[in-house]
Amino acid sequence: MIIIAIIVGCLIGALIGIYAPMVSYTYSGYLAIAIIASLDSVFGGIVATLKKNFNLTIFVTGFFGNAILAILLTILGQKLNVDIYLAAIVVFVGRMFTNLAIIRRYYIDIVVKKIGNKKKKTVK
Amino acid sequence: MKINFDKANITMSISIAIVCVILVSVSLVQFKTVEQVNETDIETMRDEELREQISLWKSKWEEANEKLEETNSKINEYNEKLESNEEASELLDEELRKSQLILGTTDVVGDGVVITLTDTEESPIEAADLVDLINELRFAGAEAISINGVRIVNMTDIVDIDSYIIIKPSQRLVSPYVVKAIGNQTYLVSTLCLKNSGFVDKYNNSGKSVKLDKQRNIKIPKYSGTMNIKYMKEVTDK
Repeated sequence: MIIIAIIVGCLIGALIGIYAPMVSYTYSGYLAIAIIASLDSVFGGIVATLKKNFNLTIFVTGFFGNAILAILLTILGQKLNVDIYLAAIVVFVGRMFTNLAIIRRYYIDIVVKKIGNKKKKTVK
Repeated sequence: MKINFDKANITMSISIAIVCVILVSVSLVQFKTVEQVNETDIETMRDEELREQISLWKSKWEEANEKLEETNSKINEYNEKLESNEEASELLDEELRKSQLILGTTDVVGDGVVITLTDTEESPIEAADLVDLINELRFAGAEAISINGVRIVNMTDIVDIDSYIIIKPSQRLVSPYVVKAIGNQTYLVSTLCLKNSGFVDKYNNSGKSVKLDKQRNIKIPKYSGTMNIKYMKEVTDK
């Protein structure tokens, strides 16, 4: 069910994205930060799912909140002439990497366990 | 895979789908934008370059403008100098003309008197008479004098040699002697025609023929000889 929802959502998103008008170059920077923040939230959500403590409210608020906050911080940075978006990217991408590492370890653990079980079976 | 159609599951699916839609669509828009920008990357770079060049040219233009102004002011200065030079040369010219007029190296014209002295049987005209007349004329303020068309300048000498009157350097004069003088007619006439003691009366009384005429636009030719200065020098104060 959720997988179907993801696939359908991605398809609709792709269609909308293809036919959507272009964003002007000035705003594409903000958009990029927003996308990074959203991706971070998505990976966080995946990790939460794997750890079995996924909360929809937290995920959705994190998804939108992070994006909006990142955009606002970038605008503030531009007003202050400080590259705050760099900090945002570092934080978000760093968290993405940790999350990816957690996901990787989770699946490696599963695979290793399976192989161990097979070996045990053959030994018996 | 078992599909549960309970409420929580549906809301979760829908919200995740919405999230997916938003994420993917925004990502694609961003991809498109970035791609397009990459295609026009050269142009955007050119934009910056152009901006730099504009500022460069602006500064160059300003420099050139300053130089232009400097040059213009210099030209103005030179023009002013030129004008003042012209003024100076005009002044010099005028002075030269004046001196030439005074010196007698130019033909001159003006109102004045004509005195005709003619030899008579009993008493011919002598050089002394002419000198006297010229002195009188000068005293009366004559500016230019000639005798029989010979300009009298400050170096002129009038002498008797044999029976002729010679104007130095080498003009021989014969009667009648026509003395032309340019000056204030009233002064000249009144000086010459003083009763009894005036030139005309005096000479007429002594039996010489002297005739005085007022004339307008008398022409007096320039001094025909050359004036050489051999010995004198200007004193220069130091």
